[in-house]
Amino acid sequence: MGRADRDVRMSLQTLRVLELFLENPSEQLSGADVQKRSRLASGTLYPILLRLESAGWFVSRWETIDPSSAGRPRRRLYRLTAGGLARASAVFASFGRGVLA
Amino acid sequence: MTHPGLRAALPAAMLSAGLAGGVERCAQRLIQHAARRAPPSLSARLEEEWLADLAARRGLSSLRLAIGCCWAMRIIAHEHTATAVPASACALGNKVMIAGTHHRRSASSHRTTAVLLVICLHAGLIYFLATGLVHRSGTLPPTVIQAGVTHELQPHYQPPPPAAPRLTPTRVEMPEPVFNFDLPADAHPTTDLQVEQPQQPGSTSPPLPARRVPGGPGKGFPNTSDYYPPAAIRLGEKGLVALRVCVDGNGRLSADPTLAHSSGSARLDDGALRLAQAGSGHYRAATDDGRPVDSCFPFLIRFDFKD
Repeated sequence: MGRADRDVRMSLQTLRVLELFLENPSEQLSGADVQKRSRLASGTLYPILLRLESAGWFVSRWETIDPSSAGRPRRRLYRLTAGGLARASAVFASFGRGVLA
Repeated sequence: MTHPGLRAALPAAMLSAGLAGGVERCAQRLIQHAARRAPPSLSARLEEEWLADLAARRGLSSLRLAIGCCWAMRIIAHEHTATAVPASACALGNKVMIAGTHHRRSASSHRTTAVLLVICLHAGLIYFLATGLVHRSGTLPPTVIQAGVTHELQPHYQPPPPAAPRLTPTRVEMPEPVFNFDLPADAHPTTDLQVEQPQQPGSTSPPLPARRVPGGPGKGFPNTSDYYPPAAIRLGEKGLVALRVCVDGNGRLSADPTLAHSSGSARLDDGALRLAQAGSGHYRAATDDGRPVDSCFPFLIRFDFKD
């Protein structure tokens, strides 16, 4: 995926995902975690995660665990980039000024 | 020896576990199928990522995740194609062919996905019904039906009949009719006509029946002042004349009025008789139960000045 750091079409579902990551910008969340907290359908959530990642707002990596000892497969973890944090913060700040980003 | 409920619950649990395993396997295959239809650069990653998320789910929740992944794959493939096709078309013509082939393959895979979705929905429905029904049959306690008479039925309460009303005869007292004619005062002397029907203990007429309404002067009866003799007016004569008149059902005189009591003035008596004679046809007939009848009654005429 590219790191174009470009604009992303904002929807209410995208805002919910960004808001979730802005609560703790350094936290790494899997798709299952985001889905559990945001209560978004998986058919909506995964395209948003990929869209934000391809736009450079998110980066993802595989969880560093031993699946045999953990008893479960490794997960894909997402977190905000520095540019994504700034862009997401700017989006929510624009709501405070009454202007949609 | 095993409990009967346990014997019923064991197959249910096995069936439930089997169905749950079947649903999860179905969801897993659905995710694998969806991931293989994703763009090649994302296919392996999405399959592993979605299967890892699927491992945290059980039952119908896993099926929901798998269906959502199928939908997500469609969106991801559409967005990936929309961004990749223009660049490929600018680069090489055969790339466009590959992209078009991929699009047709994606269209054909839609039918496969729809069929798989229908199958999974049916499997989920069967699983839901089986687990719900078997669970209910395994946990229901045995029902014992007991029948017996616990108490005798009490006779229906019937309220006592209402007491018969006591009717007492009531006598209705009718007031005596009094007719007063007040004439307006003007330059000429005026008289008052008062027609009264007093109770006469010594009267020979039979008592009226209870519904008898006596007669009297009616609408259009002549004015007393018109029959006040001018000579009596000049002489200042006043007085009360009592006549007896007999009237038929139409308000006409059935006989000539007769003088019952003189006023002491022949002029006033004569004027009263002329007045009673002129009023024929304008008397109000007596009625029995509302029906006009012939009757005779005393008729009092007062000639008087009014200042």
